[in-house]
Amino acid sequence: MTSLLRTIFVVARRDFLAIVATPTFLLFLLAPLFMIGMGAIGGFGASQLADSARGAGRIVILAAPADIEALRAADTRLREALPGNKPATLELRVATANDDPVAVAQEKGSDTYAVMSGPLAAPHIVERDEDSRSGAYLALLATDVLRDRAAGAVAPAAPRFESLKHGGTSIAAQQSIGFGAIFVIFLLTLLLAGQSVGMLAEEKGNKVIEILAAAVPLESVFLGKLLGLLGVAILFIAFWMAMAVGGGLVAMTQVDPAALAEAGTTAANAKASAALLAVEPATGWPFFIGIGFAYFIMAFLLLGAIFLGVGAQAGTVREIQMLSLPITILQVAMFSLCSAAASAPGSTLATVAQIIPFSSPLAMAARAATDDARGVHLLALGWQAIWVALVIMLSVRLFRAGVLSGRSNWKFWKRGTGAATAAAGAAETASGQ
Amino acid sequence: MTEYSVEAHGLTKYFEGFTAVDHVSLEVPAGSIYGVLGPNGAGKTTTLRMMLGIVDPDAGTSRLLGNHKPQSVRSRVGYLPEERGLYPGMKAREAIAFMGALRGLDWAEGRRRAAIFMAELGLERVIDEKIRKMSKGMAQMVQLIGSIIHAPDLIVLDEPFSGLDPVNQERLEMLVRRERERGATILFSTHVMAHAERLCDRIAIIARSARRFEGTVDQARALLPMQVRYTPRDAGGDVAASLPPGAERRGDDWHFAIRDDGVEPLLARITASGHGVAGLSITRPGLHDAFVHIVRQVDAGFAADARADAIEESAA
Repeated sequence: MTSLLRTIFVVARRDFLAIVATPTFLLFLLAPLFMIGMGAIGGFGASQLADSARGAGRIVILAAPADIEALRAADTRLREALPGNKPATLELRVATANDDPVAVAQEKGSDTYAVMSGPLAAPHIVERDEDSRSGAYLALLATDVLRDRAAGAVAPAAPRFESLKHGGTSIAAQQSIGFGAIFVIFLLTLLLAGQSVGMLAEEKGNKVIEILAAAVPLESVFLGKLLGLLGVAILFIAFWMAMAVGGGLVAMTQVDPAALAEAGTTAANAKASAALLAVEPATGWPFFIGIGFAYFIMAFLLLGAIFLGVGAQAGTVREIQMLSLPITILQVAMFSLCSAAASAPGSTLATVAQIIPFSSPLAMAARAATDDARGVHLLALGWQAIWVALVIMLSVRLFRAGVLSGRSNWKFWKRGTGAATAAAGAAETASGQ
Repeated sequence: MTEYSVEAHGLTKYFEGFTAVDHVSLEVPAGSIYGVLGPNGAGKTTTLRMMLGIVDPDAGTSRLLGNHKPQSVRSRVGYLPEERGLYPGMKAREAIAFMGALRGLDWAEGRRRAAIFMAELGLERVIDEKIRKMSKGMAQMVQLIGSIIHAPDLIVLDEPFSGLDPVNQERLEMLVRRERERGATILFSTHVMAHAERLCDRIAIIARSARRFEGTVDQARALLPMQVRYTPRDAGGDVAASLPPGAERRGDDWHFAIRDDGVEPLLARITASGHGVAGLSITRPGLHDAFVHIVRQVDAGFAADARADAIEESAA
């Protein structure tokens, strides 16, 4: 067993160094920069658009001078309490005799969603959009002012706010954390595991495969190659995590108060991220991140093993490219299944997604966000590990039979029986859960 | 420790209806140099691969170093495949250490030994050169070093001499002898008889998928009668009358074959004939001739079979 591990590491070390110590790897490592760059450009453009739109949007009230202050107070009060999208900026104007609300609504230089004119008791509201809530909001303001006048000064309710610290995160938020985990794991495996499809082509091309096959069990060649690639993937992720953390630190030290004041939105962002941090997956952040990483490794190994096994069968680069498409489709199918499952935790669909080995890592990562049971993850990891072993074993048998000895009548059940029964047993325990 | 390093019995392999290897058995005594000879495509490589457990035989068993599972003695076996291959991006020293590490040798020790071996074989210039910059022969020497770097008890070399220049062939022979002195058993395949004749304690000849001969080089050579070259001093008269039938004249010399027990009677007849002796040599034919003889016999048998089949078919 130790010698098997040792040979796995010898192969993994060779592969890792062969991948990392090339100029191409630098390109690979920095590839996300292009993505970030494109994203930044796109985001900048979008925010420009949004900014110009936001600055211009307004609703207008043409009111009698006596009502102006009351309306402003009502707007301040109501705007705070409204959930969701706030109404556009309110512009208050003193009404004159020859006001034409339609002309006001069509003034150039800004988007006017609604204009209210006339007495508060019977206002005339011009709306741009029948379904928009802007007009309704204006009517609400008018009603509120009238009600205040009728009732006199009513003491406002003195609420006592209590925040739910534990179990307070909403299910929707947890589900979106789960979905986020699925997406991140899917994206990383899609980007990184796909590389393994061509890995054995190298050995077949330069004939090293016979040295390897003679010296070590093929299982350790396959596993070693996967681990080598996993090392590259982890290096890749660690590099970008370090970049992100480093970038954050640099930004914190570099940004001076003036810039902070200038960028008022930053404060809002900080508030938003603080709110995000307050959202907690059911199992807690440390456990969730740890188990998410474990599931990433499992997803990587599972998909990598399939890619490697399929790639090992291919004779030419063209075949490899042809073969990688069906696997990518399988991967996307698993992603869709898990996304659907993540939005319905506890459903049959979710259970199915958690048991199917190729979607299991994704679905279980999502489950960690919504379900606080921890033991089940150990079971899932074991179940997935069995499948990694199974896929590798099958790949090795196919490879031995098809490629190495050039014969066709291979019997995968001959030696695979033991593992198959073990897998079946694990399936029973998993479904019993 | 058993008496034999390799005991393969009845190894058989079919490739889509064609029998590539047909019940080949090999017994390689421990500490010997053993040659597997055969024409191209005879099944030597497949036999070696089955023996080492790289390919599963369809029938037959193989014991390496007294162990039934070839995989369990991997670290004590060194193997140079017929299809040479190294990672082109690796440096020679690293490539050798890598091959050692696959067989369980420590990396640092592998690098150290690699330098020693390469210096001995005149490759010190390219120790830190990448494989892709080397000539084919140099890369082959590097791979050869890699396959024996872990001081294995059994060394299997598939066509080790092909592709090497005479100087490197000489170095390789030296290396093989030295490994044997260290106590290793060496099994190699070749179709160049000169190396087998110089090196091998025992040989097996494989032709047409089956083993056709097994024994020492001398036993193989003894399959053919001794060859006599006789130059009479007095070429006049009927020299042929005193020689065995079938004697052939080439210039002044007469060439003919005699049986092992025919040496003394021949000498007596030549002396009695009065033609005198200007030159006389009685030699065993080389391994080359014995090999060609055996392979031709096998081929003739196959041709005869084919004819018989054809006749049978036309009769039916």
